[in-house]
Amino acid sequence: MSKRYGMMIDLERCIGCHTCTISCKFENNIEKGSGIRVETVGGPQMDTPGGKYPNLSMHYLPIPCMHCNEPPCIDVCPVEAISKREDGIVIIDEDKCDGCESCITECPYGTIIFDKEKDIARKCSLCSHRIDEGQVPFCVVCCETEAMYFGDINDPESDVSKMISKSNAKTIVKDTDTGPAVYYSPTRNGKIT
Amino acid sequence: MTTTGKKEVIRTYCCIEDGIMCGLLAHVEDGVLKKVEPADFPEDPGMKHVCLRGLCTVKLVYHPDRLKYPMKRVGERGEGKWEKISWDEAFDTIAEKFKGTAEKYGEEAVAIASGGFFSSVVNMIFSRLANAIQGTLISLGGYGDFGGPCGDMTTFGIPMGERFIQDVEDPGMYVFWGANYTETYPLRWRKIRDAKEKGAKLVVIDPLFTSSASKADDYIPIRPGTDSALALGMMNVVLEKGLEDKEFMTKYTVGPFLVKTDDGMFLRNPDDPEKYMVWDLKTDSVKSSEEDGVEPAMEGTFTVSGIECRPSYQLLVDLASEYTLEKTSEITEIPEEAIEKLALDYIEKRPVASCRGWGVQRTFHGDLTHRAIAALAALTGNLRRVGFRTIPLNFLGYTAVEGRAAKSLPIMNLYDAIEKGDPYQVKALWTSSHNILSQDANNNRLIKEVIPELDFYVVNELFMTTSAKYADIVLPASTFYECMGLSTTYDVQVIPYIQLMQKVIEPMYDTKPDFEIACEVGKRMGFPEYFNKSVEENIELMLSNQNDLSIERLRQGPVKAPMNVEGENWEFTTPSKKIEFYSEKLKKFGEELPLYKEPLESNRRPKAEKYPLSYFSTHTKFRKHSMYANVDWLKELDPGPVVEMNPVDAEARSISTGDIVTVTNDRGKAKVKAKVHEGIKPGIVNIKQGWWHTDFIEGHHQELTQSEINPAQTAALEPNMSLLDNLVEVSREGGHE
Repeated sequence: MSKRYGMMIDLERCIGCHTCTISCKFENNIEKGSGIRVETVGGPQMDTPGGKYPNLSMHYLPIPCMHCNEPPCIDVCPVEAISKREDGIVIIDEDKCDGCESCITECPYGTIIFDKEKDIARKCSLCSHRIDEGQVPFCVVCCETEAMYFGDINDPESDVSKMISKSNAKTIVKDTDTGPAVYYSPTRNGKIT
Repeated sequence: MTTTGKKEVIRTYCCIEDGIMCGLLAHVEDGVLKKVEPADFPEDPGMKHVCLRGLCTVKLVYHPDRLKYPMKRVGERGEGKWEKISWDEAFDTIAEKFKGTAEKYGEEAVAIASGGFFSSVVNMIFSRLANAIQGTLISLGGYGDFGGPCGDMTTFGIPMGERFIQDVEDPGMYVFWGANYTETYPLRWRKIRDAKEKGAKLVVIDPLFTSSASKADDYIPIRPGTDSALALGMMNVVLEKGLEDKEFMTKYTVGPFLVKTDDGMFLRNPDDPEKYMVWDLKTDSVKSSEEDGVEPAMEGTFTVSGIECRPSYQLLVDLASEYTLEKTSEITEIPEEAIEKLALDYIEKRPVASCRGWGVQRTFHGDLTHRAIAALAALTGNLRRVGFRTIPLNFLGYTAVEGRAAKSLPIMNLYDAIEKGDPYQVKALWTSSHNILSQDANNNRLIKEVIPELDFYVVNELFMTTSAKYADIVLPASTFYECMGLSTTYDVQVIPYIQLMQKVIEPMYDTKPDFEIACEVGKRMGFPEYFNKSVEENIELMLSNQNDLSIERLRQGPVKAPMNVEGENWEFTTPSKKIEFYSEKLKKFGEELPLYKEPLESNRRPKAEKYPLSYFSTHTKFRKHSMYANVDWLKELDPGPVVEMNPVDAEARSISTGDIVTVTNDRGKAKVKAKVHEGIKPGIVNIKQGWWHTDFIEGHHQELTQSEINPAQTAALEPNMSLLDNLVEVSREGGHE
């Protein structure tokens, strides 16, 4: 089977520190926004729990590009700027992108952002430039609680695949199954979203 | 600039999180720092760590608002009118003003407050400067960090007893007492996460539902400042069920020592006042505690030469017995079952690691809370001796000036020293790595009453902070990437390595490293022989007491401190060499035992009729004190100050999220937006700390905090700021986001 790069994020480990968000900005020179955002699952605002005091719950959900098996963003791009590499990474060709924002609307996970300065769409490339040099994505390097695992999810012997099966990790479920390559190990209460 | 495409990776460490000091690899291209990443500690892979603030240190270096040249004030203080001056003029003026102040008011009237020494011990050059000029060296521990140390100095004889009470091996349970390590101490959290993954339980005691609370097995909401009552109530549960570790209390604490009922002092051996007396059950007579074969009584009342005495353990038991479940629950607002369950967990899950956070020490009686939790840990057999890692460096040699010494003054006493000449007059001040006008308690008092009494005020800074704005001379400092430095190791540090802070880029603009600034002033004050050596020579001086340490060695990588093991005979540096849950010294304050005292501004005081809400200013992941509040990338995530409040309190005041509200008390106000949510106990409001005056619509979060001094803390170590012990009211302004 061919390679397919993906990630697993341990939601019990994640502390919502946003270091992934900031590390992505540095590595990929993204001035506004980031290739990965951290949502609070609980209350309506960042860092707020759901429930009624003191019976509360909260956890965090980091959301990078899902590098889908069937990426809806590719189909809607009128200038064919988005493509899927042989290793499964979905990338935007910044030279081709004309900033129409169709992909931003289409992505069910809301992971594509608009770069006003460059007038193009941008998103997580899994740090493909680093992967091509044998390194791992920068957010994985910087994660404060070592909650992120990267590797070939098609190789059952890879660390990430082992972690996925060991922790019964799942992908985010949307109306249409796009086949995400980002898995989440649920919280101790079995929650992902 | 010519671009050669030269790329370098230089190892240094993050000095902005003082006390943690993560290793960093700095990526430099053509002399420009591009980014940093966490550096390895090969022996300790779990210590490879960086946080969002650490990454953003790069944003500080290239921030457009950096101070670029020395300036002198030309308008009124705080008016913001400045004139560019040369470094020579700046140094000459400082030396001239310091000399003039010393002549007029005495040498101690010149005070230096430098907060940077934990991050880089090179910054202790300010201690050398204070010694040379025989000025006053301000101790900054009381800026919120000494409530706990006051308690632990009393109990253990060291400022932080974490190595006994927290760093236990393979704990069955972690208990966070007002601690939020997921947000404020993530590197330490990794250890707790590992223990949790192995099955350890986590209990979080906190009025706020923090991210740590979200990871807890049991979340215990508590009324602010009542943790010592909880600890006493738990002790009572344990004692009533006979589950206490009396053997530990007998062997390692002052428990068996007899206390005289009349004066509360320990009964001493009349022939040797260093020796403490106990009641020997074998001979039914009084004996020196150290005598062979003594079997000391822990309970009871005894009469020795007509004087009534009791073992101090009996006094602790008597105190705890007052804290029935009913009473403890009434004080703490914790259900009785939860108190009992936690008490039993302290026995069943042994060893239990107690993590006492800033939340419990930043109240007026934070020292008592630390003492009560330590006494609980002792009584339940949860204290351990795991050892600690340090490499002692030659700091004394580095800071000493022959025949001359500075006076030491706690930061909380600086207010009165400047304002009223108590205990003596301070007329000139230099603050370095300490943003006093943003981060210290009672901001209006400082700005309107304290600072105006100064004849001269100097600040070296990266930015025009509020402190800098009120200075007479502002000096542009270099960041830690622009100079050399050295980390240190101390017993509670998470990364026990000596690391070299290597210069990564040249100083930006016309900035200078703090070390150089201090040296230039030192030379002009008439002490060239102490201030004419390079930073390298000074680092070598600090390393000179360690044979295998040198700059050359540290350039190859960090050096791990060896383990210091507690001796077989577990002695403490208290007067009795035992764990002192009972303190003779604090008898005169009625605090010989770790009793519960109602917080100075609790919501049950009469003052609460006017100001019914308890006010917090907690730490946050987005800032370190007032640092990073001006970093745009962090502001994308956390745009500005908000006051957090529970829907119960918000509805009672017709406040919704986004409304503009004013938080007030007699000391000042802060006008901010409201953030209404369930994660905060009704009756409490919180503005996360570190925002600058310019971030508020009006006022500032530190205007609301009190600067009262607790004399018992002065006696124990140094008074602490009670930043979490304040009352306020919140009212709607009518505006909305």
